[in-house]
Amino acid sequence: MRALQALALEQFLAGRGFAKKPNGMLLSGTGARLLRASDLPAAAASSGALAIHSPLDALLGFAGSKLVEIVGRRSTGRFSIAVAALASATGGGQDAALVDLGDALDPEAAEQTGVDLTRLLWVRPRKVKEALAAAEMLLATGFRLVVADMGLAPRGGRFVPDAAWVRLSRAVAAQESTLLLLTPYRMSGIAADAVVSASGGRPAWRGSARGPSLLAGLDARWTLEKLGRESPDRSAPLTLWCFPPPKQESFLDHPIPLRSRCDLPMADRPAALLAH
Amino acid sequence: MPARLACLSVPLFPLAARLRSEPDLKGEAVVVCEGNGNAARVLAATRPARKAGIEIGMTLPQSRAILPRLVARPRDPESERSAREALLEVADAFSPRVEDGGEGIVYIDLDGIPALARGESSQLSAVNCQLEPLVTRHSSLVTVEQQLGRELIIAAEKASLPARIGIASSKLSARIAASLAQSPTVVPSGEEASFLAPLPLARLAPALEIADTLERWGLATIGDLARLPEGEVASRLGEIGRVLHATARGIDPRPLEPRLPALSFSEGMDLEWPLLTLEPFLFVGNAALERLMRRLESQALACTRLEVTLKLDPDGCDARAIALPAPTRDVKTLLTLVRLELEARPPGSPLAGFTFAAHPDRPRRAQLALFGPPALSPDRLATTIARLASLLGADRVGSPRAVDGHRPERFALARYEPPPPPVFPPPGKTGRGLLAVRVLRPPVELEVIVKESGDRSVIAARSGELSGSSGSPRPASLKTRASDAVPHIDGAVRVAAGPWCMEEGWWSDSPDQRDYWDVELSDGALYRIYRDRRSTQWFADGIYD
Repeated sequence: MRALQALALEQFLAGRGFAKKPNGMLLSGTGARLLRASDLPAAAASSGALAIHSPLDALLGFAGSKLVEIVGRRSTGRFSIAVAALASATGGGQDAALVDLGDALDPEAAEQTGVDLTRLLWVRPRKVKEALAAAEMLLATGFRLVVADMGLAPRGGRFVPDAAWVRLSRAVAAQESTLLLLTPYRMSGIAADAVVSASGGRPAWRGSARGPSLLAGLDARWTLEKLGRESPDRSAPLTLWCFPPPKQESFLDHPIPLRSRCDLPMADRPAALLAH
Repeated sequence: MPARLACLSVPLFPLAARLRSEPDLKGEAVVVCEGNGNAARVLAATRPARKAGIEIGMTLPQSRAILPRLVARPRDPESERSAREALLEVADAFSPRVEDGGEGIVYIDLDGIPALARGESSQLSAVNCQLEPLVTRHSSLVTVEQQLGRELIIAAEKASLPARIGIASSKLSARIAASLAQSPTVVPSGEEASFLAPLPLARLAPALEIADTLERWGLATIGDLARLPEGEVASRLGEIGRVLHATARGIDPRPLEPRLPALSFSEGMDLEWPLLTLEPFLFVGNAALERLMRRLESQALACTRLEVTLKLDPDGCDARAIALPAPTRDVKTLLTLVRLELEARPPGSPLAGFTFAAHPDRPRRAQLALFGPPALSPDRLATTIARLASLLGADRVGSPRAVDGHRPERFALARYEPPPPPVFPPPGKTGRGLLAVRVLRPPVELEVIVKESGDRSVIAARSGELSGSSGSPRPASLKTRASDAVPHIDGAVRVAAGPWCMEEGWWSDSPDQRDYWDVELSDGALYRIYRDRRSTQWFADGIYD
């Protein structure tokens, strides 16, 4: 009976031209606004997973709140992925926090990458202990994404007690949040739900053979070392660009991996790269 | 029906205020004295002290002779003022019309409140009320008022004040009812005279000469006075006697004089001994801040600015203000901020007293969206930001902002006030996959060996002739100049791209002129380095990561 009433109401509204309003808006103005349930946008975060970057999402392939540790040396794309995650979260209307031990964020570049700076809380601790305390506070506050960058080589980081990481892991689980932990070496021990190691960062250049004139991007390989209690040892290539190509949709899932300087003979390198 | 009033009275108010500031003394034999030295007289005493034989009005040496371990405290105006404000705030939570009746006495207008409470509790319909016998309604009103009185007592106890309640139709009857041991005492409407009649005449607190006269007349109770003819009393005692006679009959023409709500909240106390170190002060200050935040909470307010006034020994005053990034009621955070402030700028003299004054503000509130992304609780966010600011410093927490200019190390911080989340979640999108740069703040000074066109390697920092020839020499190897520099950079350059010139502030005395290079070292790391044209020094200011 209720279904019939709803159908009759729908037909009536359609006859009055309400259904032609944008976004299926039935009533508008200062009063209540009615929308058909079918017109509601699908909840992006219904699975609880945070979309970070296509290759990494495919590599992790999990849903829900996690403590993800990304380990790698310099120039392997760790910080770029962190910024991409912040852009994804803030672009989706969520508040996010960056605990930046190395004081490394460039706000202008982050804004160009897509980070909504008004939704980003930037915390700049001086010590590892302060960084962990800040991350725990932020998780307890309810931030759905917290990125904790442990810098390039934190002194004293090896002596962080395991209990601190377990506390962080429990805070993540309790708040259903995601904590991205960027470390130069494994720090979180067994507390991390997923550990990704970034390696093989190979820059790509454009320009003449005698002297390339432009940095084009970075090619790296990311390996999933730990997921839960398993060691899947899956890996995926990761390509990062210095500037967006003309068509951004096709650029995100670029079919041809960017070849690095090391893959090519010196004489052939510039022409091959420019051919992309 | 006449208006109903409640009198909230704190017996032995100077003592209660002192015990509120020093809760550890509860259960001890404590007296509050007025006066100096041996001339100090006991103003109020706790029950253990009174049981030991100490009476009001004794001198302090007499009291100590009776009880050597007696704890004696002088009157503390600051504690009494705080307690008075707290009592008024308790009353404010029950009624908008409240009168400050003096030391430890507050009158509350109950007009409409019992009916409201009864309506909530019993849910009686209007028809039932009409059919209800008059006596039953009368007794149910008294029951509701007694319940209200008990709630008032509980609220006052939460503010660390032992209060008694009297409810009547006049201020005098309510005050006398509040002074009785049994609390709450409810005097039904119209029965003030019969309530007062059996009480001793001293309860009316007549003037001394009037009291002597009445005693000579053989009057012992209020009822005795009320039974005398009004005209005869007035002709013998004058206007004072007429007013006293009317009071004895339960007639009190004084109306309630509501006060304006307080705009500032403050708590503090004068210390018994000057404090030299920070820890004892924080211990005492913690209790004061807790009381202050409870008062703010009772008004649904939060602290947006805390003013700390320190009374120095032997004289002087030190005032400072702590601005909070967002309104909060978190005592731990406020105490940490006070500690950091005092550690940064010690007062320089022992502390003889202190006052915390909170500037109230409405806590942040937000409407949560049904379909949109989850929003942060504004109150919790404000507390977290305040705690982070106290932990790291206010300049290290905030929302980043880009600064107009070309130097990448520059940035600005704004207060973190995120906009409300969208009503509907926008379509999910992943990151754009752009390479980011870790900015090195401050830039790391480098020693760079450059390769000139003739493959001659030169240490760039020592070669002044390279300053004008930015095009031909290319970096060949890098090394941080300081051995303990973070991060440490050392290696041969595989690929170098550049230079790109950056100029800023050419109109100023110290313009920035830099030649930027992107270099790949032998270990695969990518750096952004530059040569300062003015000083010819090389720096690394970023790592592609």
